[in-house]
Amino acid sequence: MTRRQALRTFAMGMAGGLYGCRASTAGRRFIAFSQCNNSEPYRAAQNSLLRKLVIQHSDLRLVIADAQQDNSIQIAQIETFLRQKPDLLIVAPNEQAPLTAIMGDAMAAGIHVICLERDILKPNYTSYIRCDNRGIGRMAGAAIVEHLKSKNGTPRGNVVQLHGLLGVEAEANRNDGAMEVLRGAPDIKVVHEAVANWIQAEAKDRMTEILRAESQIDVVYGHNDPMAVGAYLAARELGREKDMFFIGVDGLGGSAGGIKKVIDGILNATFIYPLCVDRALDVGLRVLAEPGFTPEKAYTMPSMMITPQNAAQVYNQVTL
Amino acid sequence: MPAIAPASPVRSPVKRLAGKLQSVIGLAGIVILAILLSPTTPDGANVFLQLGNLTDILRQISVIGIIALAMTFVILTAGIDLSVGSTLALSTSVMALCLTAWHPAVGMVGHILLSAFAAALVCGAIGLVNGAVISVAGIQPFIVTLATMIGVRGLAKWMTGNANIDIGFGTDDAAVFAAFAREKATVIATFAILACLFWLCLSKTVFGRYVRAIGDNEQAGLYTGLPVRRIKAYVYTLCGLLAGVSGILYTGENHQGNPNAGVGYELDAIAAVVVGGTSLSGGKGSISGTIVGTLILGVLTNMLRLKNVDSNVEMMLKAAIIVIAVALQRTRWRRDT
Amino acid sequence: MKADLLRAEGISKHFGGVKALRDASLSVATGEVHAVVGENGAGKSTLSKIITGAVVADSGNIFWDGQSVSIASPMSAQRLGISMIFQELDLFPNLTVAENMVIGNLNVERSSWVDFEKVDDFCRPFLESAKVRHSPRELLGNLPIGQRQLVAVARALSMGSRLIFMDEPSSALSEDGAAILFERIQEFKRRGVSIVYISHKMQEIFRISDRITVMRDGQTVGTRTTGETTAEEIIAMMVGRTLSGSNRNSSVKQEPRPLLRVSGLTTARLRDVSFEVHRGEVLGVAGLLGAGKSELGAALFGLDRIHSGQVYIRGEQVQVRSPRHAMTLGLGLLPEDRRLEGLMMQMSVRENSTLAVLARFSTAGFIRTREEQTRSSQILESVKLKSNSPGAPVSTLSGGNQQKVLLGKWLLTEPDILFLDDPNRGVDVGAKWDIYAIVDSLAAEGKGILLVSSELPELLRCCDRILVLHEGRSMGIVDALTTTQEEIMSLATATAVN
Repeated sequence: MTRRQALRTFAMGMAGGLYGCRASTAGRRFIAFSQCNNSEPYRAAQNSLLRKLVIQHSDLRLVIADAQQDNSIQIAQIETFLRQKPDLLIVAPNEQAPLTAIMGDAMAAGIHVICLERDILKPNYTSYIRCDNRGIGRMAGAAIVEHLKSKNGTPRGNVVQLHGLLGVEAEANRNDGAMEVLRGAPDIKVVHEAVANWIQAEAKDRMTEILRAESQIDVVYGHNDPMAVGAYLAARELGREKDMFFIGVDGLGGSAGGIKKVIDGILNATFIYPLCVDRALDVGLRVLAEPGFTPEKAYTMPSMMITPQNAAQVYNQVTL
Repeated sequence: MPAIAPASPVRSPVKRLAGKLQSVIGLAGIVILAILLSPTTPDGANVFLQLGNLTDILRQISVIGIIALAMTFVILTAGIDLSVGSTLALSTSVMALCLTAWHPAVGMVGHILLSAFAAALVCGAIGLVNGAVISVAGIQPFIVTLATMIGVRGLAKWMTGNANIDIGFGTDDAAVFAAFAREKATVIATFAILACLFWLCLSKTVFGRYVRAIGDNEQAGLYTGLPVRRIKAYVYTLCGLLAGVSGILYTGENHQGNPNAGVGYELDAIAAVVVGGTSLSGGKGSISGTIVGTLILGVLTNMLRLKNVDSNVEMMLKAAIIVIAVALQRTRWRRDT
Repeated sequence: MKADLLRAEGISKHFGGVKALRDASLSVATGEVHAVVGENGAGKSTLSKIITGAVVADSGNIFWDGQSVSIASPMSAQRLGISMIFQELDLFPNLTVAENMVIGNLNVERSSWVDFEKVDDFCRPFLESAKVRHSPRELLGNLPIGQRQLVAVARALSMGSRLIFMDEPSSALSEDGAAILFERIQEFKRRGVSIVYISHKMQEIFRISDRITVMRDGQTVGTRTTGETTAEEIIAMMVGRTLSGSNRNSSVKQEPRPLLRVSGLTTARLRDVSFEVHRGEVLGVAGLLGAGKSELGAALFGLDRIHSGQVYIRGEQVQVRSPRHAMTLGLGLLPEDRRLEGLMMQMSVRENSTLAVLARFSTAGFIRTREEQTRSSQILESVKLKSNSPGAPVSTLSGGNQQKVLLGKWLLTEPDILFLDDPNRGVDVGAKWDIYAIVDSLAAEGKGILLVSSELPELLRCCDRILVLHEGRSMGIVDALTTTQEEIMSLATATAVN
């Protein structure tokens, strides 16, 4: 094959393939969702819930862009969305500072923007659907106090914290909320903290190091379920998991989610971290349907603690 | 010992020109494809061709594009620089730190300029270290810059405590800088000016000629009395410097200093250089080619994003484009010569 | 007239757009040594590859023993009894001598197991016949190049070859190696094996061949009986014109102070070498492979470290630190291997020519292109470079023209002393004579030239005096007008001391 023939074949192949990807867009309303990272379980669950909800409306077209945890990519993807003039733009910002300006550009272009779960530096959105991470933190702190009280008679014991990405608001608040409560119990000590960036494998490594350093650990508070599970696995390898109380956050349904882990006895407790996309879609569609409707600047989604007592019941409710 | 080696085939001037324009033809092809496949806005306009979209593309390619300019010089000397991504991260860290944590007794403009100068200086120094070790100790560029890539990343993360340094939206010097640096005009103008400077340097100066000569045949360069070590040190310093400039722009665009930024940017820059016709074995290449290569990859990415192609599919397509572009550029395609 | 063993006629072949052969022909008799000569690109290699099966012709007929045959592959050529020994020796240095002989050899019994005894028995008679002095079990790579050549010959014989093509066999050999080869060639001839000998070297051709076929531009110009022709006639047929092979007039200036004086020069490869070069003088440097000729240039030019000894340029002692420094002192060096050490193959002719003096054509780092173009064209004209496009990459030029570009590059540096390391290696005859003329005129201008060459007739023609080296030592300096090739050779082989 000569050079020219190869070039022509490739060009036609590309054109054909991409042309085939064209979906019929006539008359449908375009919802653009800029997701910061498809590969986290929480975000994957957000995506599938949103898809499931959108399918129920025949006049909606949903496109989800994956920024792969890169701010520059997310900015570029939103820019590209703006060019296509979507009816609704939902953004789950990767980080606060980088995404603020571009979402301001979107607002300035007259597009309705819903900010999902993570906050940005300025209110450059129509509405912000948030979760009360601080509240979750407080609930976690209370759960820790409760457990230690029942285990040792008084609120006394050693706690290990596993942190997610430090720049993220959820992380800060899940930490601060818990510390708020724990400060009231001076005999409960946070003996060790490590950063595992929300990732199970990293948490397992960090926990292994911590287990070697600390001989007495009562509670492990992982700021998300994968990290708590990773810590459990590390402890089990050293045969120490029975002595510890594992708390996570997220409480996703499905066989890989935190609720199942509670059912299986791997985690002792977790907290539902709402997916938020259902409220986001509601608000967004209402804004589009009713021109006079002004949504709240922020909606807070409620959370709930999952324990072995209610796990099975909630699992059936929540699993898609 | 080959006494007589066959001469390579003579190509007429027309054919040679066509060879050089090959990458431009490739770019034209991708642009046409993008126009044909572009979605349309509700009021019927072609989205790809919107001025806003086209300038978006120029802005989006600028950070990698600037690095690719200097990478062209490095690759022309038959070298490579893997540390540019980490250097960019260091630059954003230094820039953000200087803007937010350092308050010298100069006015706002002075503060911004000094911070930028500091970031550029540090990165130029990193490049100089690369260049010095490569040219004096004679260690392979791949190894040296691999080590720098790891070490500089560590330095950036240590300096910032592995945390991002956010720049707010107030009226402080940092915010003013960010507002200015994220303007499309600023970014594109910087890229354009640097592109012109580098093009001039490579094609019209003695230094540019020496860079190509050394990459073509370093041994012969030594025999001809060329300052081989100095030239090599300079090209790596330039690479570090431009990674620094890119980092400064990145800081504005992203409103933060990020020690984890730039991962994989070295490969994107190398891809742009290679798609543009520069050979990894040195001696053959041009700045115009690199610019075209950067544009090809930028237009391709934009086209795929407008079609909302899955980002993983996007990566596979990019890989295919890179291999095809390089294969098409080989001057000898048939075995029988 | 002996019957034709091989007759090839009307052979044409083109590669892409290039016509390599046009109606070429060759006939070889039984038991004949037939030389094939031609300039670079004349088609000798292509014709040989067609007859030995490596390449398929577009058109033409080949007759073997009077029968029309079609040779589609090297295996079919082998079956007929034709084989080729390539210039680069397509043998495997990491295998043994015996393994090299039996690989791909149709005369060897095929079986799954290797019987080393049997293999040795098979090889021994042929190795003896080729005067190979090593055991069949030795690794080929350990043999000196001359012996490897003979192994290749033994292999050809073991394949039952009646016609062996040899492509420039002596280019890698020393004089003794070549002598052994020639002696064996005569022996095979006596036994009825024919040899087609492709070479540049007139001396050898006239020494060993029976007939000579000349090719030019893909065509066969003619065939002559060696005893009935002269080197001048053959050369004229090769280049299509007659060349004046007159000897030069000496232009040595008699001056009290030599331009270059070297005393007791000692480096890693040289031992106590001393000589002088005067203005207008051409000093030849002769010696076998490894004698230290190129090393002398490297030492003078600042590429090798000098352990002891003094170098005086224009009467003043100098310590050359680097090539750049050497250039400022008025030295120039044309290296031995123009592809590896001399030219930037991807850069254009013009760019290569001005590379050493680019700073001269620049203001504030920017190149003054028009001035560069003018000076470049001037210098390339003065070295008689035949090239239409100075913007084309230098890799598209023939060997001779490439060498001229290199010369032009060094001439632009306006050196006083020029060290030319084998400038005519791989250069076709026409360009060679042009280069001789240039060397003459450089000497006439008052420069001092050191000319390294492995071709003694060339040294005798071009030089005033000749320095002979042997394993890093100077064996003597002879006067070119009064010496003989035998004298130089005996000095070079250290069989006599001056």
